Amino acid sequence: MLAAWPTTLPLFLALSACKGPAVLSAPPTVSPQTQTLLHAVTAEQNLIWIYNRAIAAYSALGPTLRPLRAEHEAHLAQLRARVIEPPGKQVPGTVTAKPALGVTGAAALAQLRAAEQDAVTTLMSRLNAASPSLAQLYASIAASEATHVSVLGARIGAR
Amino acid sequence: MNASVAALQGALAAEHAAVYGYGVAGAMLTGSAQADARADWTAHQVARDTLEATLAKVGATPVAASPAYALPFSVTGAASAARLAATLEEGVTRAYLGLVAVSDPALRAFAAKAMQASANRALAWSGSTVAFPGMTG
Repeated sequence: MLAAWPTTLPLFLALSACKGPAVLSAPPTVSPQTQTLLHAVTAEQNLIWIYNRAIAAYSALGPTLRPLRAEHEAHLAQLRARVIEPPGKQVPGTVTAKPALGVTGAAALAQLRAAEQDAVTTLMSRLNAASPSLAQLYASIAASEATHVSVLGARIGAR
Repeated sequence: MNASVAALQGALAAEHAAVYGYGVAGAMLTGSAQADARADWTAHQVARDTLEATLAKVGATPVAASPAYALPFSVTGAASAARLAATLEEGVTRAYLGLVAVSDPALRAFAAKAMQASANRALAWSGSTVAFPGMTG
């Protein structure tokens, strides 16, 4: 039996490649809903990144921006927790958009406000393809970010 | 009763309560705060009428308003009136969150937009934001 393995093993592998166990097949694909969820995760990470930059650059804005950033961190945690397929899938942890920060505090506020409004619009576009519970999460986050637009707008108006 | 009708009725019931509650709150407010309450009261009346029309269109009988509602706490002045307004908006936001779960795309979008409006009104009355409007409290 031992002498036979050099010839039987390649034969086994060749057969496995055609009809074999899943371990040798292509990795499972991500459903469109999960793909959208992963995009939402990345969008929150991008928002948090720009908040971090603005808070570091304009300390006077900290009291306004820190509570909003904390809510984005809560959004991110909830979105990441919803990524359940495929098993073992790495949830993205990288920031994909690093725009230059506005050169004044007012410009940074306007930039954040525009980013929040874009986030609301994007979440609204994701509602229809989502499961009922995910649609509710998107709608709740969109409502939260709509209030951020108002907070930032009021701060811009007060300057 | 199908899920869409049930969720629409839930949103309508919340709007009826808001219309009643803003009447109470507005009586305790003056000046610009009272004007704000009146504007929000009108917004809820418009939403109520829209929901009633939507329900009638699908052959359902819209749930009626109660003659009176138990307030969640005593409203004795401007501060508690503002707190009542914020509480009413949170209730409305929760009701529209239920409507977001239906499968009809138009109803989902309508409810999500209504959540944004009520979350912003809650912000105006409470002065603070929350991470998950409609999901907490």
